[in-house]
Amino acid sequence: MQVKLDLHNHSCLSPCANDDFTPALLAVEAMEQGIQILALTDHNSSRNLVAFDEACRLCGILPLFGLEVSTVEEVHVLTLFSHLKDALEFGTFIEFLLPDTKNRTDLFGNQLVVDIEGEVIETVDKLLVGSTSLAFSDVVEEALSRDALVIPAHIDRFANSVLANLGFLPDLPYSALEAIHLPVQADTHNLAILTGSDAHSLEQVGRRSCYLDMEQISYEALKKSLANPSAVSYRQ
Amino acid sequence: MVVQDLAQLEGFTTQCMGNGSQQIQDAYTGDLLSDVMGNAPAESVLITIQAHKNTVAVASLAGIRALVICNNRSIPSDMLQAAEDEEIAIFTTAETQFEASCRIAAALGRINAGKA
Repeated sequence: MQVKLDLHNHSCLSPCANDDFTPALLAVEAMEQGIQILALTDHNSSRNLVAFDEACRLCGILPLFGLEVSTVEEVHVLTLFSHLKDALEFGTFIEFLLPDTKNRTDLFGNQLVVDIEGEVIETVDKLLVGSTSLAFSDVVEEALSRDALVIPAHIDRFANSVLANLGFLPDLPYSALEAIHLPVQADTHNLAILTGSDAHSLEQVGRRSCYLDMEQISYEALKKSLANPSAVSYRQ
Repeated sequence: MVVQDLAQLEGFTTQCMGNGSQQIQDAYTGDLLSDVMGNAPAESVLITIQAHKNTVAVASLAGIRALVICNNRSIPSDMLQAAEDEEIAIFTTAETQFEASCRIAAALGRINAGKA
């Protein structure tokens, strides 16, 4: 079966995202667009995943609990978990590894933790868009050891991507790659290449969803299909 | 040197002037924004290839007053808008970070090696 997925999205926890872009709105908009597997991947934090979990259940979407981790080389990597608890633990670990810089909301934006109704539970003081002290290869290894999917983000972007920042794609056991434009002009190691919306506002949800040929809608089936690069398609 | 003096340097194109009369005391060259945030001196000009909006936020945080974007990289409109809002000047050049840094070192009178 062809399953529509979108594995790169932010919420109001990411300072660069709109304040009114709550996890629940992300899930509802994704449902309306027929997205069946959806990830929330805020920058270096998992604090909005609790609300995201609840919202996806109500919407009948399979949630992936993610973070977009910034490595010490300022490369962005998507790490996606099947279980909320694992993602929350990893998120605490990643947040701890960020530099102790306070967010300046006037420069970077608000970092809002919300419940399913969009009520603000807390605001995060530490700047979440800094870089962790972990090397790219360490992020990949650490997340894989915790049974996450590991997908280098927007590899064809001119900043914060593995190709721009490192110059090449190190030979590591990634689950897949994410690109903005296809085809990618680089050696992509015959890996599955996904497109993700990287939505920072409601209007951007679904702008780069893709399709995967899967046996059923489950984390295990997703993992299995990602191992086959030709299972991905990009029809509108 | 003041910000608007940078506009006179050979090959530099002004994209936005910020506050042209502000003093520039120092310079910093770097493309890793986490390093810039931690180490760039205030009242300085940043020489970089990072042509995106986050560079303006980091500059503002660090007290950097001007950006020189090298290698002919183009400036996205949201970056320009942020720079105008934060009164940070942006200049572009076809030169590399090394060449632009040399040019600015000369303009700052820092012609000897290092901090001398």
